[in-house]
Amino acid sequence: MSRFTRKLRKWSVDILDLPQDLVFDLPRLTMVGNKQLLIENHRGVLHFSPDQLRLALPEGSLTVAGSRLVIKAIMPEEILIEGDIAAIQYLGTGEKR
Amino acid sequence: MKTPGLTKLRGSVKVTVRGGHIEAFVNELARERIEVWNLKSIGPNRLEMEVVISDYYRLRPLLKKTSCRVHVDQREGLPFFWNQVFKRKWFIAGFVLFFLMIYGFSSMVWDIEVKGNVKIPTEDILLAAKEEGIYPFQWISRLPEQDKLSKDLTRKLSGTSWVGVSKTGTKVTIEVVEAAQPKNTELQSPRSLVSKTDAVVTHIFAERGQPEVSKNDRVTKGSVLISGIQGEQAVVAKGDVRGLVWHEYTIEAPLVRKQKVYTGEKKEKGYLYFGSTAIQIWGYGKVSYEQSQTLTQMDPLTWRNWKLPIGWMSEDVMEVTELETKQSVEQTVIRGLERAKLDILAKNGADAQIVQQKILHEKTDNGKVYMKVLFEVEQNIAEELPIVHHQGE
Repeated sequence: MSRFTRKLRKWSVDILDLPQDLVFDLPRLTMVGNKQLLIENHRGVLHFSPDQLRLALPEGSLTVAGSRLVIKAIMPEEILIEGDIAAIQYLGTGEKR
Repeated sequence: MKTPGLTKLRGSVKVTVRGGHIEAFVNELARERIEVWNLKSIGPNRLEMEVVISDYYRLRPLLKKTSCRVHVDQREGLPFFWNQVFKRKWFIAGFVLFFLMIYGFSSMVWDIEVKGNVKIPTEDILLAAKEEGIYPFQWISRLPEQDKLSKDLTRKLSGTSWVGVSKTGTKVTIEVVEAAQPKNTELQSPRSLVSKTDAVVTHIFAERGQPEVSKNDRVTKGSVLISGIQGEQAVVAKGDVRGLVWHEYTIEAPLVRKQKVYTGEKKEKGYLYFGSTAIQIWGYGKVSYEQSQTLTQMDPLTWRNWKLPIGWMSEDVMEVTELETKQSVEQTVIRGLERAKLDILAKNGADAQIVQQKILHEKTDNGKVYMKVLFEVEQNIAEELPIVHHQGE
């Protein structure tokens, strides 16, 4: 994305009050307590073990740490994780302007 | 969106995937939109997951691509159940056959009962019923309507005024009401009525035949009272002739009356019996009574209405003594006369009437009363005598 288009999009999001995930291709996380986590708009699994799950994102990656993690369902853009989730960490998603 | 719908119906397998790049394999699954669920990581490069059977076969190219191997751990759902059922198909067939037989046998007529017939043989009724379609092993559904059956059977069986057919379960009951038919009179050969003793006629009424005597006539034994020959024809003489007859009785009656009386002493004996063999259980020992009477009671085991040939027999041996009562001469006479009167009634019919009694002679000797009595009895004196045709010599 060129710098200009990004700026234009940011501006339209601010003006029109649009949800950012649609416009910026950001992941959307829906979490129910620490038991269930639905991640939309991911780019695949990088690592999967019972206590860690790393997902690729359009930019950077996301690490879900916890114990007894289970992928309940997986689809091209969506993933449902269950287990005792302890932490969610973003890596390499520094804002580029 | 936990598990795809109807997995139980479609059948699913739990598989373990190992080797190669597990994460790459998972990404491929997502890209191919293969429905998998409950992915669990079990150790390095090992993954457990569940997948629908139809999708299982789509795994193969992905496995090749990511150099993984798959192993089926668990199968569940209807297709696998059917497989198992099919393995025991003869058992299932037997099961189905059992129900079919129960159903089939309970929709058959097994038993036909005929009730209420007296003169018409049961076999005839069953034969008529068979023609109408009621017979053992006939399908109940093929029986005609009950009122039609009843109508047809009534028509078919002569001598019935109504036939009812009712069905309870597998049993058909045919109830017959027989028509009341006039009594057939016996055919009799021509006859006359003659006197059976010497008598004086007191009453004569000829229903059929020619009366030969009239009231107050003296008749001797064998004389014709009502002749069976009327005009030139022989008929069956019928009528009522009564006359006075004298009976002489010699009565002998003891003054002492002997009676058997229970003393109240008794001994009980118990037996178990099988058929005609009895085994004594209690009441052993000698019976010390001089005179005794034994009362036996059988108590067989019963089942429903059947008496089994096994049971309990009890015997009561009761002591008896003879009681002698002395009677006066008058009492003895009355008793003797009573006995004689009973004898007359027994010999000459219950309609005999004692008109007069005369004690001709009475004597008491050796503890006995001897007497001679003359009874004048009005009784039926007619006796039948067939008329025999003498055919030319």
